[in-house]
Amino acid sequence: MIDEATIAGMLRATLPDAEVRVFDLTGTMDHLEVFVRASVFAGVSPLDRHRMVERALAPARADGRIHALQIRTATPEG
Amino acid sequence: MTDLQDEIAHEIADNTILVYGKGTKDAPRCGFTLETIQFFSAFGYPFEVVDVLENMPKRQALAELTDWPTLPKVFIKGQFYGDTDILEPMARSGELGTLLEGAFAGSGVTPTIQLR
Repeated sequence: MIDEATIAGMLRATLPDAEVRVFDLTGTMDHLEVFVRASVFAGVSPLDRHRMVERALAPARADGRIHALQIRTATPEG
Repeated sequence: MTDLQDEIAHEIADNTILVYGKGTKDAPRCGFTLETIQFFSAFGYPFEVVDVLENMPKRQALAELTDWPTLPKVFIKGQFYGDTDILEPMARSGELGTLLEGAFAGSGVTPTIQLR
């Protein structure tokens, strides 16, 4: 279990202007969909955007706070 | 190349669409693996699912190969495409349909279902 503020904090460590929205898929706050909008995604492939998000959230993955994660990304331009 | 890397290289080369997941096609053991199977079933091209749930050394080797920590992992014609988070937007834009048509061109395989 984790909360949106914690996730946003972890993401903003490497994606400073990230706009973060978290959707709880199971009501248990450990199966999540995360939407991240960040300017550093501009020109970055979908695969690499996901790698960046996974890397930023790796500690919460490793200790089980996040069990399952779907990721959507965007740039401020769209 | 280790035996494990060799095994993975052969699986990737031998299957135009290859999914490394948790569980089998008939008995997926993870929601995202199930979702990926449903995703490709809807496309109608043949695909292979390799169950690596209990095979931690192989999961580790795959994670290192792809720089992608999670399962499922999808390969199309030898190229890594991540998972349905990546593939669903590609399907919506039509990019994936074109990619699969190209991947199966000349193979004599046609999709069983036409989505477009």
